[in-house]
Amino acid sequence: MTLEKQHDYFSLVLASTVHDMKNSLAMLGQSLNHILDEQSKNTLNIKTQKDVGIVQYEANRVNNSLMQLLALYKLENEQLPFSPNYHNLFEFIEEQTIILAQLFEAKNISCEINVDESIDAFFDANLLSIVVENILGNAIRYSKSKIIINCQNDDHLVIQINDDGLGYPDKMIDLEGGYMLGINQSTGSTGLGLFFAEQIASMHQNKSDTGYIILKNGGELNGGLFEIHIP
Amino acid sequence: MFTLANKNTLIIEDFTEFARSVRTMLYSLGNQSVEIVSNAEDAIEACRTKKFDVLLSDYNLGERKDGQQLLEELMAFDLLSANCIFIMLTAENTSAMVMGAIEHQPDNYIAKPFTAALLKSRIAKAVEKKETLSSISRCIQKRKWSEAINQCRLIASEKPKYRMSCLRLEFKCLKIQNKLDDALTLSLKIISDREVPWALQAVGEIYFLQKKHDKAINVFKNMTKKYPMNLEAYDWLAKTQQALGQNIDAQETIHMAIKKAPNVVKRQKSLGSIAEQNDDFGAMSNAFRQAIYQGKHSAFSSPEEYIKLTYGLKNQLSQNAIDSTKNSSQDKLILEAEQTFKQLENKFKDDTGTIIRSNVAHAAFSKTVNNKDDVDKYSNKAKRMFEEFEGVLSPQVSLEISKSLKEIKDDDFAEAIIKEAIQQNLDDKEFIKQISNFTQDKELIQKCKQAAQQNEKGIYHFRKNEFKEAIEYFEKAFSTSPKNINIALNYAQALLKLSQNAKNKIELLTLASNKLIKLNKLEVSDSRYSRYSELNRLTQLMLNKSA
Repeated sequence: MTLEKQHDYFSLVLASTVHDMKNSLAMLGQSLNHILDEQSKNTLNIKTQKDVGIVQYEANRVNNSLMQLLALYKLENEQLPFSPNYHNLFEFIEEQTIILAQLFEAKNISCEINVDESIDAFFDANLLSIVVENILGNAIRYSKSKIIINCQNDDHLVIQINDDGLGYPDKMIDLEGGYMLGINQSTGSTGLGLFFAEQIASMHQNKSDTGYIILKNGGELNGGLFEIHIP
Repeated sequence: MFTLANKNTLIIEDFTEFARSVRTMLYSLGNQSVEIVSNAEDAIEACRTKKFDVLLSDYNLGERKDGQQLLEELMAFDLLSANCIFIMLTAENTSAMVMGAIEHQPDNYIAKPFTAALLKSRIAKAVEKKETLSSISRCIQKRKWSEAINQCRLIASEKPKYRMSCLRLEFKCLKIQNKLDDALTLSLKIISDREVPWALQAVGEIYFLQKKHDKAINVFKNMTKKYPMNLEAYDWLAKTQQALGQNIDAQETIHMAIKKAPNVVKRQKSLGSIAEQNDDFGAMSNAFRQAIYQGKHSAFSSPEEYIKLTYGLKNQLSQNAIDSTKNSSQDKLILEAEQTFKQLENKFKDDTGTIIRSNVAHAAFSKTVNNKDDVDKYSNKAKRMFEEFEGVLSPQVSLEISKSLKEIKDDDFAEAIIKEAIQQNLDDKEFIKQISNFTQDKELIQKCKQAAQQNEKGIYHFRKNEFKEAIEYFEKAFSTSPKNINIALNYAQALLKLSQNAKNKIELLTLASNKLIKLNKLEVSDSRYSRYSELNRLTQLMLNKSA
C-alpha cells in the first residue's frame, strides 16, 4: 500500500469508527433514560442523581467532540456542507438550550437568554449549533450557578456566552487566532472546541469580512466570556 | 400550546432498539398513536392504508431505499396528506445538507442522538411552518399562481420569520409561469444582500433558461467553489457546459459530483449520456451500470439505463475491433450485455415499446459481435411487434431505433419508424433536423413542414384568443398530419376554449374528446402526457356537466 493510499484508508476507517462510536453513545444515553424512567427520579438519592448528571454530561461531551472531529475531517476533505441561510436567532439559541436541558437541570444551573425574538440572522445553523452546544457544555462544566446568552445583530451577528465560573486561563486568552496551540494535556484542554469554533467562524464571510471568536474574562457574570462574531 | 396528543405518528427505522426508544419518547410527550416499520416498502404500504400526521424516517434504512427515496416516492404516489410532517433522522448534524437543493425536502431534520424535548421542538416548528404556509401551498396545488404570489407577500410581511420561505415559493411560482424577468429580479435582489445558496442557484437557472449561458456558467462555477457540497450546482454547471459545447468539461463536472455522493441514479444517467456524446464508452457503460444497480429498489428505475448500458458495451466492443480469437475481457462484456437484455425484457415485459426497442438494440449488438443469426432473429421479432404496436415511441427512442436499424441495413423497417416519428413530432424542429438525415422520403418532410406552418398559424390565433380561426388552422394541420401529437392536443385545447361560450357546446366537446381518445396510448413518462391528461380530464368534466 502506498503512503497516500494508507492515509486515505485511515481517514475512511476514522470516519466510520466515529459514526459507530456515536451510535454506541446514542444507545448508552437511551438505556440510561430507560433506567431513569423506570425509577421515578425523586426516589434516587442525591448522590445517584449527581452521578446520573455526570454520565449524561460526559456522554454529551464525547458526542459533541465526535461531531467536531467528523466535521473537521470533512472540512479537510472538502466534504463539509456549508449551507448558510436566514434563521430566527431566538429559536436557534433556545433550541441549543433545549438540547442541553438535562445538563442544566442536573447541575442546577440557570440559563438566561437575551435575544430579541424578531432577529433573523444569516449563518449555517448546523455548524453553528455544534459550536454553541460545545461552548455551552463547557460553560455548564465550569460555572457555579448561572449562564447568560446575549445576542446582537447590528452590523454583524454576535453571540455571547457568559458564565460565572473562574474564567479562562490567561494563557488561553493570549492564544487569540491560534487555538490549535491550546492543546495541553496536563490541564485537560484538547484545544478542539476552540479550534473548531474558529474554523466555523472563519467559514462565514461577507464581502471582505470574516468571522472570528474572542475569549475574555469578566463579562456580565464576572466569569468566562466567549464571543463568536459572524459577519 | 402545541400538543402531540392527537397525532398519528409513523417511525421508519431499521434499528429496532432505536425505533422503540423514539416511541418511548413520543409516549412521554403524550403521543399515543405510534407505529413502527423497518423499511421504506413497509412505510409506503402503511401510508396507503392510513393517514399519518407525522413521519419520522431514518435516512439510512439499510441497503434498499433510503429516507430521501422514501420521501420522493411518497410524493410521487401522492401518499402524504397536505398537513403531514416528514422529519428525517440523520446520523450526524451535517449529512442532511448534502441533499440541500433537492426537489422534495423533508420538513425538518434531526441529528441522532436527540432528546425528547428537541424532538418535540422540531416537530412543533415543522407543524407551525406548514400551517403558516398552507394557504400558499393550496394555491400552488390549484395552480393559481398570482393568488399564490399574493399570499407569499402577505405572509412574508405578517410573519417575517418566514420571509425567505415565502420568497422561495414566490420564485417558484414566477418560474413555473415562465415569468423569467421577474424571477431573475427577485433572486438577484436576494443575493445582492446575502448569497443564499438557493437564490444563487436560482439566478443561474434563470440565466440558463434565458440562454445567457456565459452568465449562467459564472454563477454555477462560483457556487461549486463556495458551496462545494451543493451538488445540484454541479448538475447545472454540467448542463450549461453542454449547452456551450464544452462536453469534456461537463463530464468532469458530473464526475466530481458523483465522487462526493455516488448514490444518485439521475446523476449517473446524465454522466452516462455525456460520456456517450464524448465517445467515452467505458465511462458510459460504467455510469449506466451504476444507475441500474442503484435504481434496483427505486420506483423510478427505467428501461433507459438498461438499453444504454447495452449500447455502451456494444460501442466498447466495436472500438476494440472484435478479433476471431475472442479474449476473456470481450467475453465478459458480451455476457454482461446478454444478461442486461434478459433483465430488461423481464422487468418491463408489459411495455411493448420498450421490448421493440430492446430487440432492435439486441439486433445491432449481435451485428457488432458478428452473430448473423441473432441479428435476423431479433430484428424480425421487433418488426412483428411494431406492426401491431399502437403506442407512441418518443422522438429520442425513434431516433435511436432508426439509427440501429440503419446499422444492420434494415432500411425498410427504419423508414417505417422514421415515418411514424416524423408525423408524430413534426413540430419539434430540432428532432426533424436530426432525423431528416436518416430518411429519403422528401415528400413526407415537405408535407410535415406544411402541417407545421398551419399549426403555427393556429397557435398565433389561439394566443390572440381567436379560437374560431385557430381551430380552422389546427383542423387543416390535423388532416395533413393526423398522427401528430401536439397538433391533436392544440386542436383539442382550442375546441375546449371555444366551447366555453358556444351554443354547440356538446358537439365541440365531443370532437375534442375524439381527438384526445387517440392519444390514450401515450406513455406516462412522455413529456406530453401531463398536458394530454389534464386536457382529457377537463373535457370529460365539461362533457359531464353539459350533459
